[in-house]
Amino acid sequence: MDAFEYASPTTKEQAVALLAGEWGSTELLAGGTDLLSLMKDYLVTPKRVVNIKSVQELKGLRYTAGSGLRLGALVTIAELVEHPQARKEYPALIQAAEGIASPQIRSLGTVGGDLCQRPRCWYFRNGFGLLAKDEQGGSLVADGDNRYHAILGNSGPAYFVNPSSLAPALIALGAKVQLFGPGGARELSLDRFFVIPKTEQDREYALKPNEILLEVLVPPATKVRSATYEVRQKEALDWPLVAAAVALNLDGNKIRTARVVLGHVAPIPWKAPEAEKVLAGKTVTEDLAAEAGQAAVSQASPLSRNAYKVQLARVAVKRAVLQAAQGGV
Amino acid sequence: MASEMRSIGKPTPRIDARERVTGQARYTGDVQLPGMLYARVLRSPYPHARIVRIDVSKAKAMPGVHAILTKENCRIQWSSGDSRNKRLLFNDPVRFVGDAVAAVAASDRHTAEEALQQIVMEYEELPFVLDMEQALAPGAPEIHPGGNLSPNNEGERAPETDQRGDVERGFAEADQVFEDVYISKHHNNAQMEPRVSVAQWEGSRLTVWASTQGISNCRRDLAKDLGLPLNQVRVICQYMGGGFGNKNQCHDFDLMASALAKETGRPVKLEFTRAEDFVAVHGRWPTKQYYKVGVKKDGSLTAIRMKAYSGMGPYRKGSGGVAGAQLYRCPNVKTEVYPVYTNMAVSANYRAPSYPQGVFGIESLMDHIAHTLGINPLDFRLKNMTEKYHDEVPYSSYGLRDCVTRGAEALGWRQKWHPPASDRGAQKQGVGMAMGYFGAGLGMSSAVLKLNPDGSLQVHVAVTDIGTAAKTTMGLLGAEAMEIPFERVSVLSGDTDRAPYSVGESGSRTTNYTGYAVVTAAEDLKRQLRELAAQSWSVAADAVQYSQGAVYMQDRPDRRTAIAEILKGNPDGLIAQATTDPKLKGVSRNSFAAHFVELEVDTETGDIRILKYVAAHDSGRILNPLTAGSQVKGGVAQGVSMALREELLYDQMTGIPLNPGYYGARIVTHGDVPDVEVIFVETADPYGPYGAKSVGEPPIVPSVAAIANAVFNATGIRIKELPITRSKILDAAPGVRLEGGRA
Ligand SMILES: Cc1cc2nc3c(=O)[nH]c(=O)nc-3n(C[C@H](O)[C@H](O)[C@H](O)COP(=O)(O)OP(=O)(O)OC[C@H]3O[C@@H](n4cnc5c(N)ncnc54)[C@H](O)[C@@H]3O)c2cc1C
Repeated sequence: MDAFEYASPTTKEQAVALLAGEWGSTELLAGGTDLLSLMKDYLVTPKRVVNIKSVQELKGLRYTAGSGLRLGALVTIAELVEHPQARKEYPALIQAAEGIASPQIRSLGTVGGDLCQRPRCWYFRNGFGLLAKDEQGGSLVADGDNRYHAILGNSGPAYFVNPSSLAPALIALGAKVQLFGPGGARELSLDRFFVIPKTEQDREYALKPNEILLEVLVPPATKVRSATYEVRQKEALDWPLVAAAVALNLDGNKIRTARVVLGHVAPIPWKAPEAEKVLAGKTVTEDLAAEAGQAAVSQASPLSRNAYKVQLARVAVKRAVLQAAQGGV
Repeated sequence: MASEMRSIGKPTPRIDARERVTGQARYTGDVQLPGMLYARVLRSPYPHARIVRIDVSKAKAMPGVHAILTKENCRIQWSSGDSRNKRLLFNDPVRFVGDAVAAVAASDRHTAEEALQQIVMEYEELPFVLDMEQALAPGAPEIHPGGNLSPNNEGERAPETDQRGDVERGFAEADQVFEDVYISKHHNNAQMEPRVSVAQWEGSRLTVWASTQGISNCRRDLAKDLGLPLNQVRVICQYMGGGFGNKNQCHDFDLMASALAKETGRPVKLEFTRAEDFVAVHGRWPTKQYYKVGVKKDGSLTAIRMKAYSGMGPYRKGSGGVAGAQLYRCPNVKTEVYPVYTNMAVSANYRAPSYPQGVFGIESLMDHIAHTLGINPLDFRLKNMTEKYHDEVPYSSYGLRDCVTRGAEALGWRQKWHPPASDRGAQKQGVGMAMGYFGAGLGMSSAVLKLNPDGSLQVHVAVTDIGTAAKTTMGLLGAEAMEIPFERVSVLSGDTDRAPYSVGESGSRTTNYTGYAVVTAAEDLKRQLRELAAQSWSVAADAVQYSQGAVYMQDRPDRRTAIAEILKGNPDGLIAQATTDPKLKGVSRNSFAAHFVELEVDTETGDIRILKYVAAHDSGRILNPLTAGSQVKGGVAQGVSMALREELLYDQMTGIPLNPGYYGARIVTHGDVPDVEVIFVETADPYGPYGAKSVGEPPIVPSVAAIANAVFNATGIRIKELPITRSKILDAAPGVRLEGGRA
């Protein structure tokens, strides 16, 4: 990695003041589990690294029945997984968090870092850029090895998949994020935090270069049953091939409303309103769950080598719905 | 030989386990020397290119940069890097992504790495080829002058062939002929310890702390490539963090560190990153195997023909063979293997180099034939398994049949086997089996034993212990041969200045080669003791007997004189040396194995879960059941990885490896590996020390095929290309619609 200047602010105001107004020259450091590999591989080459681990306001996990769960950006994945009330109220989130990587990475990696981690697209990770173009401007992904790439939201130019395991569950649970920049704080529904970049200069989230993610707010979910179903190639140290997070708002046996979000299938966590529509107003059965799975992939357009992911997404939604209905444990 | 074993055959923890798990063990990467410099290597980003210009002036001018080597100032040949072509440390043209073009030594790692960024390289890209068969097609880019078929052992551009009988006659006699193609991929050895070397010159004498499987061979190669007398080279590797076959001999990084240390007059450490480890060293050769097999209605084989391609990458280190056909009795066999140069990562030895890929092919096909003929795969094997090498040479000891029957029993094969895809639901269970073998060679190695006046024993052997517990085994053999407690033995290893030549830990041979020398040297110690006693007692030497640390007159076994007493006037004790080179007489010597797997396939997601795994092995007498069992479990873990997960992928357009590293290439973790029930079918081999044969490599051999066959039994789907991923299962699963959109 290149040499860099290191800053370790103690307030959020200091932190944003240390960030540059354009991407590239500064980077935030939380647990470092992704940032350091990005730097070692020269995928990001910041002149200044801003360590936010001493910013107290970014820490802390709090649950109240009235306002739900507040996750400071620096809450580690291990802290989240071990939190008794979070475990009870948000099974979809906990199941997603438990699947992440390994105990070592869960105890270093943070919630903010999980949401802001960069894509695993191997063309990106091999230095071909976020949009993975060849020298003539053609897509390396579209004609190349796209077995792990997007099956939805892939009309270009981005084909990578969003790597965050927490994001689909959080979006299904209706989470919001607080962002902070020189102009103060702003709140965003988490599903609007992720964006599909159009140019190589864009990032895949709505943060401005000099903003930081402060906290994640998850509304109470007492009436909600939720579950995440992940399909992985390996049991540990691997991102899912496909994940589905489902949150069912129940009225007795009946689904009042449903949220279905797919992970690792599109450049952003992918909401599946078609599946939500299928589920709304119905009682969960095996057939209904399968129908929801089918609806979730109705718009899928696999690339040359990833049609199997359509099947995986279909099954993941079905199984997540059934798991959520059974109590989500 | 003692009538009753004292040390061997008992589960004995490794003698260095404590140091290893408490962090006391000093691995090569831990070596720090005063004034040491750090080196990094610049590598080609292109799979095939000519170097047009190298400009190191900016890098050289950086403060902290001490030396830069490129092809322009370093012409050292890495002779063990290629047995056919002249491979230099820095080659032009570069022939794969990761081929070294420069090495920098600097005051710290970061400066070294920054300097790499400052080296200006200009390349002229050349056409490249990744696929083995395309590499042999007319008009393919020539990777070495003379074409892409690597010369055989005789130096001819011809396949490696092996033949007996007449296959054409065999096919004519067959009732049915089967043809099929099986494909295996490039797998990295993925050992835990990365490549690292520390080199230091004192005058004209070179010391290299290496991470090597064989210090003796490493020293030999370093001396040869650097033009040094052997006594000017010392290689040290006290603790070794794994190699699985890709740390034999000396490596380019040993030579680079040595050359940089020479140039700068300072010690130099060169350590590779994990990504470099995956692309720049070597892995298992990928293969494409074409089979044609003739059978009679009753299931007996009339002919086996195999034509296979092995992708060696651009340099040929190891053989490139494809083994497996030897598992079967058959009068007419012909195998032809084409080792091919490609612009992928180099391929060479990885645990049982030619075996798991070939056994995947032949054992999948035999399973298929049994299925087609309506014969239970177990019965098919019992009927056709090899009983003599090439159907004519007897095996030195033979436990294959027992491996098969006992393994089948432990799995519950007769109860669990069913016709393929019998389960109705999405979850389908099945069982699979495969056989394996591995040559258990004999050969030259040495040991020096020192019996101290207090009766304690030092075993000096040049083993490095790559995870096989070789140090412990050498100690056990010394203890057994001297009939003294294991605790009285210490093993001095891992340093060419302190130990005689040892063959190196490859080919599953340390126990058989170096262990044999230890036992032989111990016999000599006992002879010396008897002679000393005979002298002082003024009797003939053959009137004196030795047992359990004491000598006695043959007719007075009750009046024992301890070693310490005999050696009283002998402050340095006794020294014995043995260089042994035992030879086989009219037999073939092999270890055997049969693996049995029960698993469940989720046909909706392609998920494969192993429910039970039984590994039955004939490795002769088991010297240490604890560490031998670990060898089997480790081999199975790698087999699972190869069968279900791993692959180093290349982008076809750019020729770059897409996924180097543990995560990317999907090396299994503990979570992916089943519990393994290990069965040792102990045969007493007349050639090995105390009846031992090889145990290190055999465990990976049948594993891949057994898993693939179980997948077939569960689903009726025969995957013929590794790894057996979800996508392959789903693409083949009947009744599952994969297209996007409508159901
Ligand atoms: C082998 C392996 C397997 C993995 N498997 C999974 C998996 O299955 N699922 C999954 O979700 N993740 C997985 N991960 C990723 C892991 O969860 C992330 O690396 C981790 O969560 C990142 O957190 P961090 O605090 O270490 O982030 P860092 O590495 O410190 O930062 C990551 C990125 O986020 C930015 N960032 C961090 N915090 C903030 C903030 N508060 N505001 C704005 N930007 C910020 C950084 O600038 C950087 O760009 C895996 C990682 C590895 C190495």
